[in-house]
Amino acid sequence: MSVDASPAPALDHARLQRTPEQEVRRQHRRRVLGKVARYALLTFLAIVILFPIYITIVNSLLLPSDITHRPPKLFPTDPQWSSYADAWNQGHMSTYMVNSAIVTVIITLGQVLTAILAGYAFAFLEFPFKRTLFVVFLATLMVPFEVTIVTNVATISNLGLYNSYAGLAVPFLATGFGAFLMRQTFMTLPHDLRDAAALDGYGHWRFLWRVAVPLARPAVAALSVFAFLAAWNQYLWPLLITKDDQYRTVQIGLKQLQQTSIDQVNITFAGAIIAVIPLVILLLFFQRHLVRGLTAGAVKG
Amino acid sequence: MSASTAPGRLVTPAPPPPPTPARRARRRRERGLAYLLLLPALVVFVTFVFWPLVHNVYLGFFRNPPFPGLPSKYVGLDQYKSVLTSQDFFDSVKTTFLFAILTVPIGIVLGLGLAVLAHQQLRGIGVYRTIFSSTVATSVAVAAVIFGTLMSPAVGLLPWLGLDTNPPILQNPDWALIAVALVTVWQTLGLTFILMASGLQSVPDELFEAAEVDGAGAWSRFWHVTLPMMSPTIFFTVVVGTIFAFQSFGQIDILTQGGPLKKTNVLTYYIYDTLQRQSDPGKAAVLAVALFLITLILALAQLRFLERRVSYER
Amino acid sequence: MRAWRRWAGAGIAAVVATAGISAVVLSPTAAGAATSTSCPLTALKKASGPVQLTFWHSMTRANEQTLQSLTDAFNSSQSKVKVNLVNQIDYVQTFTKYKAGLASGDLPDIVQLQETDQGQMIDTGTVLPASVCAKADKYSFADFLPRVISYFTVKGTQYAMPFNTSGPVLYYNKKAFTAAGLDPNKPPTNFDEVRADAQKLKANGVEAPLGLKTEPGFFEHWRGLANQLYVNSSNGRKGTATKTVYDDKVGLQIYTFLSGMVKDGLATTNPDLGSSSFDNLLGIRSGTHAMAFDTSAALGTISSVLAAGNDPNIDLGVAPLPGPTANSKGGVLVSGGELFMVNKSAPEKQAAAWEYLKFLDDAANVTKWAIGTGYLPIRKSSAASTEMQTYWAQNPSYKVAYDQLLDGPTNVATSGSVIGNYTGARDAMRDAENSMFLNGTSPQQALKDATSKATAAIQDYNSRIGG
Repeated sequence: MSVDASPAPALDHARLQRTPEQEVRRQHRRRVLGKVARYALLTFLAIVILFPIYITIVNSLLLPSDITHRPPKLFPTDPQWSSYADAWNQGHMSTYMVNSAIVTVIITLGQVLTAILAGYAFAFLEFPFKRTLFVVFLATLMVPFEVTIVTNVATISNLGLYNSYAGLAVPFLATGFGAFLMRQTFMTLPHDLRDAAALDGYGHWRFLWRVAVPLARPAVAALSVFAFLAAWNQYLWPLLITKDDQYRTVQIGLKQLQQTSIDQVNITFAGAIIAVIPLVILLLFFQRHLVRGLTAGAVKG
Repeated sequence: MSASTAPGRLVTPAPPPPPTPARRARRRRERGLAYLLLLPALVVFVTFVFWPLVHNVYLGFFRNPPFPGLPSKYVGLDQYKSVLTSQDFFDSVKTTFLFAILTVPIGIVLGLGLAVLAHQQLRGIGVYRTIFSSTVATSVAVAAVIFGTLMSPAVGLLPWLGLDTNPPILQNPDWALIAVALVTVWQTLGLTFILMASGLQSVPDELFEAAEVDGAGAWSRFWHVTLPMMSPTIFFTVVVGTIFAFQSFGQIDILTQGGPLKKTNVLTYYIYDTLQRQSDPGKAAVLAVALFLITLILALAQLRFLERRVSYER
Repeated sequence: MRAWRRWAGAGIAAVVATAGISAVVLSPTAAGAATSTSCPLTALKKASGPVQLTFWHSMTRANEQTLQSLTDAFNSSQSKVKVNLVNQIDYVQTFTKYKAGLASGDLPDIVQLQETDQGQMIDTGTVLPASVCAKADKYSFADFLPRVISYFTVKGTQYAMPFNTSGPVLYYNKKAFTAAGLDPNKPPTNFDEVRADAQKLKANGVEAPLGLKTEPGFFEHWRGLANQLYVNSSNGRKGTATKTVYDDKVGLQIYTFLSGMVKDGLATTNPDLGSSSFDNLLGIRSGTHAMAFDTSAALGTISSVLAAGNDPNIDLGVAPLPGPTANSKGGVLVSGGELFMVNKSAPEKQAAAWEYLKFLDDAANVTKWAIGTGYLPIRKSSAASTEMQTYWAQNPSYKVAYDQLLDGPTNVATSGSVIGNYTGARDAMRDAENSMFLNGTSPQQALKDATSKATAAIQDYNSRIGG
């Protein structure tokens, strides 16, 4: 972008009448005000975004009668931690969390594994129908999950997996997104690496696990976080495929809790916080990886 | 022929050596390995994505009994005709589009705005970035349970904020969809922010500096530098966001169950309700086929029309 | 070159195999179901070791605890049968999963469904009727309340074992009545009185005197109170119902009353499903409402909620449901749930289920159940027992629904209707009422919409059944 000859700025008479010291002080004040304004805006937005979570935490520590108090109590002066114990025990949140944990881990492992294998094949191997198959993988992203439920419920029932961990996990053991991400990541590795490894006697399998995957760690981490997030937050499939508390996951359990605790909303709120805690912990630790893994080749298109 | 035109290439590369038996064997093994590596994912896709797609079409030809055990009746295209021309179907499609229009543009504008604001060099900006991305830890169910209670007329906060309606917002045919859209926008804001922020980070700072040197104000910088450079990210988010909007289900199941008066009966909920409550897999399959075709056409349309407006780095 | 063809072939074969397997695996299991005509009583004696039964129920909290203690008592009182309770949280989910089980084979031995699922459950042909076992076992239902027995008798057969029966009642705040100059011991008994009292309450500052839950079942109770039918074929009891018959003077009177109350600001509505389904009762607690129609089964919950809140301005009163006119010729219907024995279970399990149901409906246990949950005692001897009389003396609110069920004749109208697609019929009713409340549709038009949609739903179901 070249610097065009812009018209000369109009004479700022007010400015010309100020002394240099006044001018410096003025600019300084402007900058401080500007900074204050910016912080104010950021803080306002942060409050608006955080408010629902904040009020949830507050209400989970109030007595049910205090929750309906008008004006609403914005700070728990006498926190009732019992609502968390109630949600955990009577509300069965403990069972739900365990179920979610098991299913999520299975799904995450499955997705990451199949993504690594498929991504490697697409990135490093030559075979007929490669492009077609890659399109097939991507095409799965075009099919909304709700479109498949009619048949999937029947398939899982007929396989005898209704109301089981396997039934909850099996349809999600692979994603097109994962294969895409791993392929992009593997493709950013220099070609000579593969040739050098081949010279050293590394077969594909060893190269994959000893060289490629370690180098692709940010992407693997990002994929794991995404897979964990998505699996933990699943709603429709567990709703369809579980029939009792033994296998219910935390999202469905939370809905259940809301329905049975209509007059004890503090328990419902406590349950919501319990459901969110694992993800908060996960994200606090892996926030950087998420962003890095994404920019490692995917978003740029 | 291509070699001479590609910049940087001065010599035509040598043709590949003729295949020896050893090389052929290696290539055979490689192909075998490739298919083996793809097999696990393919099995999952065929069984749980492509087969259901095809099977839906077949299921739509049958009228099912209200519960399993009785025979299904083959009716050819009659069920397709009756379902796809019904008022309920039209209303559902309209509601779904309305929902997407309410959530996707607002979500992107907000996400982009927050990302730009959080891109500044201020002390403690990291805290704000964490807060803006915080809703990524919430799920649709968590958000719906929280907002559902906050918007409930008995225990909610809307009357205190002066925002209550009569009838209460989630039972109000005019406002229910907007309320559900609001919950969705809040819940997805974290992810949208992260996408936008990472897209913004990949815009080289030199471009911003050059624009500033040229005398471009903040708004002009945004319009002429940020937006074009962000267009791949925005495009990606629009496509993915629309797909997600069309797949929304959990919040409707928890907040409104398709009501009031079917005003939030998006296509996904319609399918679920038909399959579970009405126990009508044939009709649900017809609706599923329709949902797939609509999503496909929409995605392809977006890919065609929007990609043209995306500017890529040279 | 042939190598890749081999691998491609293998790949295609794998895909085809998967598709083929899925196709085979997806063929629906032929059920061939038919309601049992005999009860395998002797099978239990031949069984070795305790027979394990699975009982799907939808009881929660205190009700679940009472059911558990009764079941524990049954299990420990003998060694031939062990009953395992599985909580399905709500009736709709239970029936959905039951129907899914018809395909997958995953069925319980005993299932608790809501009263309106009776018709479709009978249509599945998987019921071992209680009357069949009663006849074989020489068990008599004479001690049971006549209206309860007549509700569960369809085309001459009693399919279900009655269990958790409730009724519709009027909840009201006595203190609010007194403050408005109304006699707290003379709650309204018909629509006109409800309206008049509401006007007085509103004048005294109650925001929306009646909390009106858009519960489609109330319309049916009002039909019963007016001694009118809901569907044809004798309310679906002598033959299969094919259409609704409530687009008449009484129907219009009900709709006009409801829509008028809302239009004139004397009532606000809340849905009967979802998280706002208790807002009418919670509104009494907050003072927004002074009256609400709801089920007697909610009395336990609302009492404990009010007790916890310790609000001095509330004194909860319970009264019979006000009817359309001053002198009702009919009576309210039976609400609540019932128990079905599933005939897909092994014979010894069916026999065991019958033993368990006899235990639950034993007079002493009926008393325990009624006292522990607030459901009505469905046996006359239980109602007359000292425990029940003492309990009612201390908690007179719980007696209201019982007395109401004895009030009026027991005939086809007060027995309620039997419809296969009750969901469709009630959806039509709910939508019509909501269009009156939320869209301002006229009562006449709404009534027409309700009947035409409900009839269409009923006929659609009948055609799907193959009838």
